Amino acid sequence: MGDLSYPDVVQLAIPAFIALILAEFLWVHFKGRGGRYETRDAVTSLVMGAGNVAEGLLLGFVGWWFYVWLWDVTPLDLGTSWAVVALCFVLDDLRYYWVHRMGHRSRWVWASHVNHHSSQHYNLTTALRQTWTGTITFMFIVRAPLVLLGFHPAMIVLVGGLNLIYQFWIHTEAIHRLPRWFEAVMNTPSHHRVHHGRNPRYLDANYAGVFIVWDKIFGTYVPELDEEKPEYGLVHNVGTFNPLRVAFHEWVGIWKDTTQRGISMRHRVMYALAPPGWSHDGSRDTSEGIKAKHLALHPEERGTPGLEGPR
Amino acid sequence: MPLGVLLLLVVGGIAAIAALLHLLGHSQRFDLGNAGVARAEWLRHWPHDAVAHVYLGDKAALIDTAQGPGLLRPFGADTVAHRITEMSETPRGLRIGFADFAAPAVALPLPPETRALWLRVWNEARNG
Repeated sequence: MGDLSYPDVVQLAIPAFIALILAEFLWVHFKGRGGRYETRDAVTSLVMGAGNVAEGLLLGFVGWWFYVWLWDVTPLDLGTSWAVVALCFVLDDLRYYWVHRMGHRSRWVWASHVNHHSSQHYNLTTALRQTWTGTITFMFIVRAPLVLLGFHPAMIVLVGGLNLIYQFWIHTEAIHRLPRWFEAVMNTPSHHRVHHGRNPRYLDANYAGVFIVWDKIFGTYVPELDEEKPEYGLVHNVGTFNPLRVAFHEWVGIWKDTTQRGISMRHRVMYALAPPGWSHDGSRDTSEGIKAKHLALHPEERGTPGLEGPR
Repeated sequence: MPLGVLLLLVVGGIAAIAALLHLLGHSQRFDLGNAGVARAEWLRHWPHDAVAHVYLGDKAALIDTAQGPGLLRPFGADTVAHRITEMSETPRGLRIGFADFAAPAVALPLPPETRALWLRVWNEARNG
């Protein structure tokens, strides 16, 4: 394989992350609007971000070796022109959409992603509340088609980093709405606030990374309603600021559920792979169940965005 | 980026942001205030519960619901609400546990009369 290499753009962006967090915080503090900050919540998010970088340094080689192996196998090489980088960026964003959607629809992937949603705040520190266990979900496999199509692994890592950097700035309440043309195509703070909402109507919506058009194409787009502000966090919020518990709590939950006595092998598999909230005895609620219960209490909301019925 | 520089940037950045937030007063806990606030907060977390009674303590509230008793407590600037799976007396109050790894058991200092009341509510709920 060639010796193509790009800078680690995420590491290079860290000073900008810190500067923008300080700027947003000072705006919120002195203006008294545009979001909320709380010390322990912010520190937990930042430590989760640091842990995510550490996990990349420690385990990133697993995905990398896989891509390099595929690169040796594939006969295709699209080269390194900027047009190819741009195409790779768009296709990788489509890949991100589906991995992210899986991250909310399969508990195995949710166990890794849940910590990103575990804050009841929504500010730029929330963007850094990233997983420590992404590698063990094996979702890096979903990038295999890109390598096999002839996109160089280094390019794929580059565009993945750019995708992550794009998503940083949309974790804010300081920006209400952007120009209509931008909101129509790109993921924005408004669209992503919906994604972080625990309101029934906002569950399982707006999985986009950079381009919101994926949600519009695949039927998961829900607009932010001015009359219903997103309430951030999990359906059942975590009761700890301990980063270790935040990082691993859903994995512990999977372990407990799959190893309990008196259930079938199918049930054990379902506890690991089915949508979050699935239970063999119906004692918990998936997002569909939560929406149905909400509609039972508020039938007048049936047919409104996010509450149209089964997808 | 050299690892040493990265480490310095990350640790220094986190420490600076934490210090700034704390010094500017962003470490204040949620104030449960009164039973009405506690009830509203519980229903924010468990919107389908039927709340029978709110027992307000200094640092948390015992919420008796038709679905079982739960503990509501401040969590930074917000609250968390979990159903209780165990309650035992300690020299200074109560130790209350939940069936959730993301919500470790809490040791609440409570005056003897509140402690006795909460234990009674818990035992009555457990014994049906």
